[in-house]
Amino acid sequence: MPQQINQPLPAGFELNGYRIERQLSLGGFSIVYLAYDEEGNPVAIKEYLPNSLALRTEGAVVPTISEEHRAAFRYGLRCFFEEGRALAHLSHPNVVRVLNFFRANETVYMVMQYERGRTLQEHIQKYKGQLRESFIRAVFTRLLNGLREVHSNKLLHLDIKPSNIYLRTDGNPVLLDFGAARQTLTSEQAALKPMYTPGFASPEQYQKREELGPWSDIYSIGASMYACLSGSAPIAADARLERDQHQPAARRWTGRYSNQLLEIVDWCMQLDHLARPQSVFALQRALAEKQRTVAASGWLDNIRHRLRAMIQE
Amino acid sequence: MKFTIYQESRIGRRKSNQDRLAYCYSRDALLMVVADGMGGHLHGEVAAQIAVQYITEAFQREAKPTLQDPFLFLSRALTNAHHAILDYALEKELPEAPRTTCVCCVVQGSVGYWAHAGDSRLYVLRGGRVLAQTRDHSRIQMMVDQGLLSEHEAAAHPSRNRVYSCLGGSHAPQIDFSRKTPLNSGDVVVICTDGMWSPLGNGTLAKGLTGVNLMQAVPRLLDQAESLAGANGDNLSVIALMWEDNYGETALGSVQTQTMPMDSFTTQLEMFGQGRQPPGPELSDDDIEKAIEEIRSAIQKYSK
Repeated sequence: MPQQINQPLPAGFELNGYRIERQLSLGGFSIVYLAYDEEGNPVAIKEYLPNSLALRTEGAVVPTISEEHRAAFRYGLRCFFEEGRALAHLSHPNVVRVLNFFRANETVYMVMQYERGRTLQEHIQKYKGQLRESFIRAVFTRLLNGLREVHSNKLLHLDIKPSNIYLRTDGNPVLLDFGAARQTLTSEQAALKPMYTPGFASPEQYQKREELGPWSDIYSIGASMYACLSGSAPIAADARLERDQHQPAARRWTGRYSNQLLEIVDWCMQLDHLARPQSVFALQRALAEKQRTVAASGWLDNIRHRLRAMIQE
Repeated sequence: MKFTIYQESRIGRRKSNQDRLAYCYSRDALLMVVADGMGGHLHGEVAAQIAVQYITEAFQREAKPTLQDPFLFLSRALTNAHHAILDYALEKELPEAPRTTCVCCVVQGSVGYWAHAGDSRLYVLRGGRVLAQTRDHSRIQMMVDQGLLSEHEAAAHPSRNRVYSCLGGSHAPQIDFSRKTPLNSGDVVVICTDGMWSPLGNGTLAKGLTGVNLMQAVPRLLDQAESLAGANGDNLSVIALMWEDNYGETALGSVQTQTMPMDSFTTQLEMFGQGRQPPGPELSDDDIEKAIEEIRSAIQKYSK
């Protein structure tokens, strides 16, 4: 069956007090719009519209849902609610904020804060990788604060990638798009096809979904950091499982970044989920610890340098 | 299979009950498990809950309707439960993994198989006497075995509660396995925590559960243990099974499993906190409205 393409709501459309400006993105599960509220503040509105189950044709507003897909459509709604519910409980500067949730056009909508800035993906493309170490450390340390909050709400993001990491104009990162997020306790309900992005999804997302855990998001964090170095997505985990041609960061960028950072990237990208940092906390601790050792060795080098200078005198 | 079974757990004089227990049976196999979360450590009751839940779930997956190899099952289930506790500790970033004792028994084909770690016990009683029992993983038990302490001295020893094997914790558990023990009609299998066996002693326990109706006898024994334990009585939990296979006499409240479908289970396990929820039925319009309302109120609450 050819994949149907859902038509977005037209520009200027009045939706429950919001005015649609334009479509921001189209996913398999939803459409995201830029819209303005009654006071003229920009917001991002996500419309639940799984394109395999509901079809909005050109010019229509209400999507057509065939009788046979009705149950699945409602089932998917459950997941959309789960995302909304999870995000509503999360109030963290590094996690996208939900502002409203409503029902219209026989589907549901989630209104989120619209952030100005650009995605990490765009940033990587602009600089063709080779981002500065201090930038990578700063972005990910703050982002991990947000991810920690997510995990402590018993939620996994499961679709972390540079295009879901938004950099506000002040440089503070925001974790976006919880469309793949699942309550860890109900992850076995795999009635809807799991979503993943090649290169950033962990190996267990392809095969052993019962092994999903914080370490799965940590793999994606590692892959996103790797992309900051290389400028492109790493080799997909399913391909790595067959024949691992992934080049460890420590080998590829020796001398260009601190070994500490490269080792952390490689640690996060281990195929064996048990070999990765087991929690965001552990990863953050490693990031912080390594920074201390960097500082310490800098201090040692300094003394060594001065001693050498004294001897030479 | 035909049997009578009774389980009960009491808090004693403690602030919380860290004991967990469950039994579960298919048409042709039965599982009993008791875990005593270790109070000196963090989240003892969580470790006990994880162990009991994990082991019953494993049983339900594998006993279809019998277990292929009951000892292999016990070994895997207890070891995996240990790892599940460690995983929990990692996930929650606990400074140390919570711990629990565990005793677990399978009866299949009128044969008993059991395994344990720690000082929760299993007894097989026949004709008012102890036919078999587990050996506690405690220093005190070792000293008794070596003849350094008498049973009597051990019962009052200040460190009688210290065990060297348990699920969770930093070391891999030492798990001891029974022999295959054929059961006759009238045999009683008891598994219990130290809050039960310690105040009563083997003699009282064996006499109190022989040739009686378990439904009445077990609560009586629990009363007795509670009053003997006094002002600082520990949590006490017990599952007692009277095996009655193929021998005419039907006791009050006995269970006859021959009419059960091949793939069904009956489980008695009290839940706590969030369990695994099965996917619910389709959302109705009301459910949708309710979900939206709930999300909106969460948004309001957390946006301040």
